[in-house]
Amino acid sequence: MDGVAARIEEAVEEFADLDGREKLELLVEYAAGLPPLPSAYEARKAAAEGRIHECQTPVFLWTERDAAGGAMLVADVAPEAPTVKGYVALLAAAVAGRPAEEAAAIPEDFVERLGLGEVLGMLRARGLHAITARIRRGFAEAA
Amino acid sequence: MPSYVHPEVLVSTDWVAEHLTDPQVRIVESDEDRALYVQGHIPGAVEIDWQTDLQDSVERDYIDREAFEKLCAEKGIANDTTVVFYGDKSNWWACYAFWVFKLYGHENCKIMNGGRKRWELDGRPWSSERVSYPAAAYTAPEQDASVRALRDEVLKHQKAGKQLLDVRSPEEYRGERMHMPDYPNEGAVRGGHIPGAVNVPWPLNCQEDGTFKEARDLEKLYIKELKMKRRSPTIAYCRIGERSSLTWFVLKYLLGFGNVRNYDGSWLEWGNCVRVPIVKGEEPGGPVSRPVPAKPAAAPSVQPAAEAPPAAASEPPPAPPAGDGLAGSPPIGD
Repeated sequence: MDGVAARIEEAVEEFADLDGREKLELLVEYAAGLPPLPSAYEARKAAAEGRIHECQTPVFLWTERDAAGGAMLVADVAPEAPTVKGYVALLAAAVAGRPAEEAAAIPEDFVERLGLGEVLGMLRARGLHAITARIRRGFAEAA
Repeated sequence: MPSYVHPEVLVSTDWVAEHLTDPQVRIVESDEDRALYVQGHIPGAVEIDWQTDLQDSVERDYIDREAFEKLCAEKGIANDTTVVFYGDKSNWWACYAFWVFKLYGHENCKIMNGGRKRWELDGRPWSSERVSYPAAAYTAPEQDASVRALRDEVLKHQKAGKQLLDVRSPEEYRGERMHMPDYPNEGAVRGGHIPGAVNVPWPLNCQEDGTFKEARDLEKLYIKELKMKRRSPTIAYCRIGERSSLTWFVLKYLLGFGNVRNYDGSWLEWGNCVRVPIVKGEEPGGPVSRPVPAKPAAAPSVQPAAEAPPAAASEPPPAPPAGDGLAGSPPIGD
């Protein structure tokens, strides 16, 4: 079983036993693994397309399909925002290659399930909720 | 060439590099993104987070005196420790933490000019080590009300036409930027600005490398162009009080304004309040008074509507003070 739901559960378990500092360390690790923005997207980014305005740091997201028709999250997040970058990288890994309807069903409360609400505080968590909502909606439209 | 009025509150990255192990000095990082500290901080620096450390988790307020004492003690900060704040975003959050420390009367507070960005540009080392210090003894006084403005005080202040600064982006000031389609509105239910507030977006205080602008540039902006008066009571606000604590720092310490307060409730409070005056668009608008809900034993300052007509649109901002009830000092030019 390798659906989005299973990958989400794995991530929740991975974060479950960590203290606040360790959760942030894990996000920093994920952030380092987010692939650089493909050059084909640079012009779209320059046109401010895909920008998530709820985040104070520039975040760009595109919900796409890969060559085999599976879900693919393309993203660019400033290095000054490792929390957001790590969270996006985590979601990109969770949806990669799966059907769009599975990707659209990532849980709305994923941030809380990772235990990040307390570590980040409410205002920061809102930015991550906006990202979750955007990704859900993007894949729902693509499904 | 003019210099900062209180230059001692700023230290350079050089100074910090020379005091990394000074037991009298505690380096404190405060960021928008907490993971930045985890990823790499100035060696020996501790983190104090504006949201999870400095704010009360139940009420919308700062931690109380006891909790502040406990926080300082845990971070190895004693009453006579020199605390040097730095962070991301041109030191927004560092200024915010600095401001909370001033709220609790901590004497020796400094900002590392340029914050993370300047340290990075200097090619100085980052450390990801966990940092802890032996607990210190700390006693804090009650909050110092002279640095903080609460809603009713802001109402009184704007009604009297005193100096009021909105440091948000022009879009927020004009009331255009609220939220995106299909998204929950994350902040206020109304857009615009407090009548009489002049829009001076916070980036105008800073240079490209994250350091503050030089004294002459700051004076040109606030004193010459905006005709602000150092001795007139001034209040700054933004969305939640973080960007305005940077402007508060600039006005109070770099330019030497005698009476400047940060309205930390800011737009997230004002834009949700019932019956407070709001202006949309580019013009500051004049002093406005509207009836506000009566509070039991409220200050008798709240008066019925409209004795002051809105200032003409052509008037230079800010509206001239009509007496200085709050500070008791007359409006004297610089």
